[in-house]
Amino acid sequence: MKKLIMSAAAILVASPAFAGDVDYSANSQAKSWNLFGEEKARFTGKVTDAVCALTGDCPDNCGGGDRQMVVIREDDDRMFLANKNGQPIFSGATYDLANYCNQMVEVDGLLVGDSDITPGLESKLLQIQLIRPIEDKEFAKTNKFTKVWSAKYPEAKGKGPWFRRDPAIKAQIEETGYFGLGHEVDQKYLEENAE
Amino acid sequence: MLKKLVIGAALAFAAAVPATASQGTQGEHVQVTGEIIDTWCYFSGVMGGPDAVRGTAHHTCALWCAAGGIPVGILADDGTVYMVLKWKDTTEVADGTSLLSVQTHRVTADGTLYKRDGINYIMVDDVVNDEGIVLSNHEDFGFVPPFAQPKNK
Repeated sequence: MKKLIMSAAAILVASPAFAGDVDYSANSQAKSWNLFGEEKARFTGKVTDAVCALTGDCPDNCGGGDRQMVVIREDDDRMFLANKNGQPIFSGATYDLANYCNQMVEVDGLLVGDSDITPGLESKLLQIQLIRPIEDKEFAKTNKFTKVWSAKYPEAKGKGPWFRRDPAIKAQIEETGYFGLGHEVDQKYLEENAE
Repeated sequence: MLKKLVIGAALAFAAAVPATASQGTQGEHVQVTGEIIDTWCYFSGVMGGPDAVRGTAHHTCALWCAAGGIPVGILADDGTVYMVLKWKDTTEVADGTSLLSVQTHRVTADGTLYKRDGINYIMVDDVVNDEGIVLSNHEDFGFVPPFAQPKNK
């Protein structure tokens, strides 16, 4: 019986709810981007998609990169929304994370946000720069977006960054203009602000 | 006495362990009115302050980020941001196309709210009102970022 009590006590201590304060920036190799409230963070956790984590609707592939993704930290079960990958080109982290759907990984990156400036959230968002399955030694860079995008839109091959060649973006701008209010509004602004 | 301690410890443990992903959690029906925003630029400050990364000034950049799969949010009138995980019939909101046509629009959306670890997530079932783009701020900020300005027009 005493062993049972000891075991139960050990389980309580090991529970995420009882984890003490940990400095997750200690071993981070992440690079600073000088963002609001930026903190480096390296931790282990489980990759899944956000809809799965919240509702229990869980496709085997976490949506294959088309659902928003989260990392649930192993230490305390805290869920972080992956907002950005490591590429400085308007790209999210969904493809990088879907590759590790339902796996335990270590991520290294930045926790971003300052509630004094933008109070809409009570948590920071996760930018992931490096990721590795916990059984691997080497980290991989989170740069899957452009590779997947190039394979998805081979007809958009050409010079310049992806966001100037993306067919859906081009179609939307063609329809409603750069400011979204129609081409006449764009033209008026450009004429009045010609360099 | 020992038996009570064991049962107590077991109950405390059960209470301390959160629901797993496959179990899911209960949501709450909500109706939210606000502007569809790009959450990376809004919360990170990478393109400037929060007033500059909304509205017409930031519209093209919002298209870029939404097409890139960066989470889209609804910035409600009280300043709360709701991260969009579902839009009408699809949960594939990061597919690069689903949310482009509503970027920067002011909408009223019915859906289910989930709260976890300081973030509000919304599963939008229906858009009951779409006012289009309401915040016209390009006269104040120009193109944000400046390289969003078209070169050959």
